[in-house]
Amino acid sequence: MKLPYSLFSRRAFLNGLIGGWAAALGAAFIRPVIKYILPPTPEPDQVSLPLADVKDMAAGSVHGFAWGNKPGLLKKAEDGSFIAFVGVCTHLDCNVSYIPEQKRFYCACHEGWYDENGLNIAGPPPSPLRRLEVSVEGDEMIVRKQA
Amino acid sequence: MTARRRWISLLTALALGPCLVAGSLEAGSPDGPGAPAWQAADKTPAEESVAAPRPPKERMEVSVLVAWTWLSILVLFWLVRLRAREADRVYRLGLRGPTAKPPKGAGH
Amino acid sequence: MKTLRPWFEERLGLGAVIGFLEKKEVPQHRHTIFYYTGSSILFFLGIQIVTGVLLALYYRPTLAEANASVARIVTELPLGWLLRSVHSWSSTFMIAIVFIHLLGVAFTKAYRRPREATWVTGVLLLAVSLAFGFTGYLLPWDELSLAATKVGTNLPRPIPVVGAWLTGIMRAGEDVTGDTLSRFFIFHVSVLPLALLAIVGVHLFLVQRHGMSVPLEEERKGVQGPVLPFWPNFAFREAGVWLILLGLLVTVAVFAAPGLGPQADLMAAAPEGIKPEWYFLFLFQTLKLFPARILGLNGEMVAVLIMMAGMGLFTLLPFFDDRPAGRKGKIITGLMGAGLAYAVGMSIWSLL
Repeated sequence: MKLPYSLFSRRAFLNGLIGGWAAALGAAFIRPVIKYILPPTPEPDQVSLPLADVKDMAAGSVHGFAWGNKPGLLKKAEDGSFIAFVGVCTHLDCNVSYIPEQKRFYCACHEGWYDENGLNIAGPPPSPLRRLEVSVEGDEMIVRKQA
Repeated sequence: MTARRRWISLLTALALGPCLVAGSLEAGSPDGPGAPAWQAADKTPAEESVAAPRPPKERMEVSVLVAWTWLSILVLFWLVRLRAREADRVYRLGLRGPTAKPPKGAGH
Repeated sequence: MKTLRPWFEERLGLGAVIGFLEKKEVPQHRHTIFYYTGSSILFFLGIQIVTGVLLALYYRPTLAEANASVARIVTELPLGWLLRSVHSWSSTFMIAIVFIHLLGVAFTKAYRRPREATWVTGVLLLAVSLAFGFTGYLLPWDELSLAATKVGTNLPRPIPVVGAWLTGIMRAGEDVTGDTLSRFFIFHVSVLPLALLAIVGVHLFLVQRHGMSVPLEEERKGVQGPVLPFWPNFAFREAGVWLILLGLLVTVAVFAAPGLGPQADLMAAAPEGIKPEWYFLFLFQTLKLFPARILGLNGEMVAVLIMMAGMGLFTLLPFFDDRPAGRKGKIITGLMGAGLAYAVGMSIWSLL
């Protein structure tokens, strides 16, 4: 089908080609630049705590440890078993604290409350504290991401 | 090669030659901040210079990116040359002026 | 696209700018190639700003972490080494083209009336560009850059009355310390960019106001020679030049990426073979060769004073060269040639 006249001028066509290819050149750099600007700061797969630090914990007490860049909370339950949480509030990422007298975790930012098993019971937090798996291996206590 | 292009190449070489020479001298000297970057194989942490990408996947990514950049530069240069010649043609035809739009109709 | 242009035109009215650029004429003659140098400088400046900001996302300007943060950028972050390499090489290219621009303007005497103010702002821009290079060189805080900074900041000291004070301002005290690093950093990323943008604004305004100058020989012909409209003819040619420069930059940056020396130790002895960046080599060599005492005066002081006098004369060149076509003009051209030969010769000598 032959057109009686061209749809756009030679100038516009060349401008479009140039602009388009230049955009394609730029686009190739988007991914590397984004990877540079947002480097991955992955959480550790596991953290080991020396057993000596934690074996004499009182029941119902909480020991803080570093989980990558976040605070980890290791709690010894009444029956002697260990349970670990990422101590970050599920509402807006503030660090939570443990109130032993009330056996609850408290987030001061917006008054969020979690019970001793990390379940969100009052205030704005939408979900329970993130759980981590705990196991004893040799003379270390290993805290891992949940499978 | 026209005389003008010879001039351009000569001037570019004269201008950038010393820079490259100075830079490579500095890069080569053992005390300078420069040292061969990503072509260097194994460097222990104790050594002065820091190596660049080593994992093969990243090296491939970089090669592809650089090759694409060079190809694009060549293509864009050719397209820009076409566009510049078109602009010259338009200028010589005197189609520029207050009514700068090209006329619609047969044979744009 | 068709609806977009009138929408912007109604609100921004940039059609007037395009109209001006379409009317702006670029003379075509033997030395037209020098007209490309100005925009090339801006091209590299743009690259410096973008790569500089990206580097500054991870660079830490403290004594303890500067070197380590650069090492992290270069090893851990994706394409960090390429980013740093581009920033480093682009600074060399930019300053090289600043010098070519300077030579083009000086030897075609484009600074003559009424363009004296353009020349003065241009000399200021040269000073700012060199200051960028000098302050940036310290930031990786490795042995070589510390040594080069100590030598460089010591330069003003022999100036009578204000010398020690100037050195103190540059160094934030008697010695080069972490405070010096902080000072250089804020100059490099904030004070100098603001100054540069302001002076470039004036420089560009003046260039547009006066139009492109032609060499004396063209002027003498009496009639206007062939011209090209700036937009789109010359502008697309400039784009082509930018592409070539980009290609050169990427090639050099990939194959000759700079390494990083070990962290500077303020207590260690100066390393062997220290030298500044290439654009300061001729000054460096001059200082090395000056005798310790001249006519009973401190040799270093004489050298620095001569350099300052030279810089002053250089800035005021258009006011001296007020009859460029005459004998005085020819003598001044000869002196400029001698100065150029001196700078190049000294630079090469310092590398041997």
